[in-house]
Amino acid sequence: MRRVFVKIALFAMSLSGIFMYAPFGLSWENFRVVQPLHIVGSILIMLFFMNSFIYRHIRRYFFIKKINSPDGWFLLLAFILVTLSGLYLFLVGNRGGDIFGIISFNIHLFGSFVLAALFLWHIIKAKRQNAQPLALFVAILFSYPSVSYSKITELSLLEIEKKTGVYHSEDWTSSAKCKSCHSEIFKQWSNSNHKHMAGSNPYYMVMETLAGEVEGQEFRKWCMSCHNPSALSLGHPKTTHAMDGNLVGNEHFESGAKTLLNDFKEHGNFRVEEGVSCITCHQIKEAKSKGNASFTLSLDREKYLLEDSKYDLGRWFSEKLINANPKVHKESYSKELYKESRYCASCHDEFHPQNGIKIVSTFQEWEKSPFNNPKDKTKHKSCIDCHMTYMKDGKFAPLRGTSTDGGVIKDDVKVHYFAGSNHFLAGLRDKVHEEQTLQLLRTSAKLDVAIKDGVLEVGVKNVGAGHHLPTGVADFREMWLEVEVKDKDKKLIFSSGKLKSDGNIEEGSRLFQKVFGDENSKPVGLLFWKYKTLLSDTRIPAGERRVEKFELPKGTKKFLHVNVKLNFRIYPQWVTDAVKKVFPVLLDPNVVELASVQKEFK
Amino acid sequence: MKKILFYPIIIVLAAISTILIISVIIPPKDIPTYSDDKLREFALNKGLKPVPSSFEQLIKLLDNDSSNSMTLEKIALGEELFFDVNLSKNRKTSCATCHSFDRDLKNNGALVRMLTKESSSVTDCAACHLQDQSGVDRFTFAQGDGGKMHPHLLNTQTILNASLAKHFTWSGEVSSIKEQSKNSFLAHHKMNMTAEELEERLRENPKYAEMFEKVFQDGTSLQNSAKAIEVYAKTLLTRGDYDRFLEGDNSAMTKEAKRGLANFISIGCKGCHNGMSLGGQSIQRFPLRGFAQFFEIEPNIEISPEIKIIERAFPFENSGGYLGKDNEHLFRVPILRNVTKTSPYFHNGAVAKIREAVNIMAKHQIGRNLTPTQIDEIVAFLRTLEGEIVDYKKEQR
Repeated sequence: MRRVFVKIALFAMSLSGIFMYAPFGLSWENFRVVQPLHIVGSILIMLFFMNSFIYRHIRRYFFIKKINSPDGWFLLLAFILVTLSGLYLFLVGNRGGDIFGIISFNIHLFGSFVLAALFLWHIIKAKRQNAQPLALFVAILFSYPSVSYSKITELSLLEIEKKTGVYHSEDWTSSAKCKSCHSEIFKQWSNSNHKHMAGSNPYYMVMETLAGEVEGQEFRKWCMSCHNPSALSLGHPKTTHAMDGNLVGNEHFESGAKTLLNDFKEHGNFRVEEGVSCITCHQIKEAKSKGNASFTLSLDREKYLLEDSKYDLGRWFSEKLINANPKVHKESYSKELYKESRYCASCHDEFHPQNGIKIVSTFQEWEKSPFNNPKDKTKHKSCIDCHMTYMKDGKFAPLRGTSTDGGVIKDDVKVHYFAGSNHFLAGLRDKVHEEQTLQLLRTSAKLDVAIKDGVLEVGVKNVGAGHHLPTGVADFREMWLEVEVKDKDKKLIFSSGKLKSDGNIEEGSRLFQKVFGDENSKPVGLLFWKYKTLLSDTRIPAGERRVEKFELPKGTKKFLHVNVKLNFRIYPQWVTDAVKKVFPVLLDPNVVELASVQKEFK
Repeated sequence: MKKILFYPIIIVLAAISTILIISVIIPPKDIPTYSDDKLREFALNKGLKPVPSSFEQLIKLLDNDSSNSMTLEKIALGEELFFDVNLSKNRKTSCATCHSFDRDLKNNGALVRMLTKESSSVTDCAACHLQDQSGVDRFTFAQGDGGKMHPHLLNTQTILNASLAKHFTWSGEVSSIKEQSKNSFLAHHKMNMTAEELEERLRENPKYAEMFEKVFQDGTSLQNSAKAIEVYAKTLLTRGDYDRFLEGDNSAMTKEAKRGLANFISIGCKGCHNGMSLGGQSIQRFPLRGFAQFFEIEPNIEISPEIKIIERAFPFENSGGYLGKDNEHLFRVPILRNVTKTSPYFHNGAVAKIREAVNIMAKHQIGRNLTPTQIDEIVAFLRTLEGEIVDYKKEQR
């Protein structure tokens, strides 16, 4: 009796294993059921049947009946190897990083064929046939019902800008789930500006609320489509912030996404994660380079069994299933598209939704720049080549490492710091982010100085940015020249670009920026979407040089000491002042020096 | 021996195939769908009503207290009192501090004004939340004059549509707004006044003497202030997409929201959240069922199992220790109009999100585990209960 069961069980396990083998082409719905059955079944069989069976079998034939069968011993060896490799695959997985995973996978796959062959050989040799149960089990396996797993998601395709339908909160897999296997990437993302783009960003919250008040609450959707696609797709009318008792949660100061992790621990995936989460970017199926969230996002993906489990044990088990055979997981989260600039363009270009006036054109600037050179691959630099490449000592130093814990060693892990220009908000949470951003910023420009006929000429060349300098919402970025000219007695005879006591830059300073005016050519102030007329544009396009001329006081002597700094501040003081009225705990962004030059003229 | 094996396997196979055949043969359950007109009829038959859109109808509906009739002068006086911070001990709190909404019903530009002006009376939270027009402070627990916390850490309930209710406050022990506004003036954790102090403060402002004279025969008093505030509160009704749908506009609600309304009625939410205000009509026990478990063992991979002790009292942490009327878990059924604007939820604001609140209500009051689709549909319906404060004054001008 026991022998019959053992045979049935073994064949069931090897058959279910073969079913999972890629050439067999098992559909995903079936795969995700067969896989755990294979694992759980094997473990149960091991615990309840096999060990005692093997022990008794050997005792009975080898020790009592004194039959020594070499193929029996080979069978035992193969069995142990397959079992051990199976355990390794389940508990550690074949993540690509360690050679044991790869060896285990191959031993488990080919070893099982050898095992089956040896097994048959052993039975036939022993002249015992039990074809009946075997045939029955094959029949059971073939009549295996194609369990169609109930999809929580009803919609197959969601173009967020069209709002064709609604997903449920549960479909927006929380980023907290990704942490257990992608801890390093999670850490980078959790402190980055991409994570803190919605409820935890005071500047954003004020602007979205302001837009809602001035243009009507519907207008928030324009902001939310890039800043908070998950909430928008669920039909939430606005972005919300965390509360801590009666106070606004201080998420923007908090490193490692603690609020998110706590939320996940307490509410699981029932509570939606707002903002740009892991799957917001990693579930984009198609992207157009139009801007204003012109991407297609679909949350329908192939899920391993128990991936959505409410319980830690279920989630732990699903992680094991992923690690044992991560191919489907990888394919459902990564696409070639993600390396292309047009992918980033879907949000990093921005135009007014009603009148179509371009507000941010970072991608279009890049398209026209020398960085976009698809013919010459050595000169072509896409967005991720600068913004997702690790920096060390002021230079791009592609990070050698893994993106999955224990995964394949890659020569250039794309880091998720998303270094851009906002060193300030990222720096509130993590100094590494600040450092990465400042290093990137400092590769962007070079200064040169000359004096001609009593006129100081400062040249600023955009050498490092593949877009205008500065780009983004360029009226909310401050990049300017701070100039000091001293005579030989070290007496200051000319200066420009100093900060006033209220923190604003003094009038007459040379700023590199775009100034938006409304239809009456008045500066738009905070309401940047009111932009109709361009009042001035002093930004520096990629690869170009801009010369600022400063008239020195008449009668200036020949000997001069000139000190020029290129300064940068992420938000003007007047913008921060406005935001601080609503978020009094916010700090003032600091001024950073991007480049400087000292020169003596004799 | 083979026979012993053969029959069980045949039986198992037969059982499996029978189950499979049954699942294939039986057609999916026919869920009744309502046409728009039928749904409206259904809702109206169940006693759901739209909020009146004209002042005349409002008077007909709410001017039912002969001892405190609704006159235009009294409404104007009530409004003045409602927004006057001088009527609190530290002169910082008015009724509108906690029951917060923009006095300018066009609700325009409070944030712009605050961001651009040097000084402003609007506080930092209100700057953004004034445009909600929610009638609450959006705090987890109420804080009165001088930042005093509510002794039971109770969450502020909205003043909007409150006049449609029969019972007031969380316990439902108060039977009129008049009574409750008196309580609020006197409570040390709210306005922190005495009747004498209040009269003194009212006398400070010559405008009040005149206004009270016009409205009441016995001049300024706590009682009369409460009366005027009650009359003003009666005009604070909101109308939204739901009201337009009930009045015949099929396009006012989305398909999802309509399914939510059908669910709301047929699942049984409507049993307590009834009337024009969808709540406030009765006092009920909460939680009703499924709360008596002391702990819940969550399987995890650590050596010791994670045992979560669930407080017996509520399906959430009961900070403040409030147990309802007579400590018997009896609560006034909250009003659902504008509920999506008034997070966090439940008496101590322990539940932050509306989906979680719907889930808890279904589980513990109705005894059903709703699917994500049902929850989202009900939330979509609740969103249609959001509304603008009806500007009844506009007609009078």
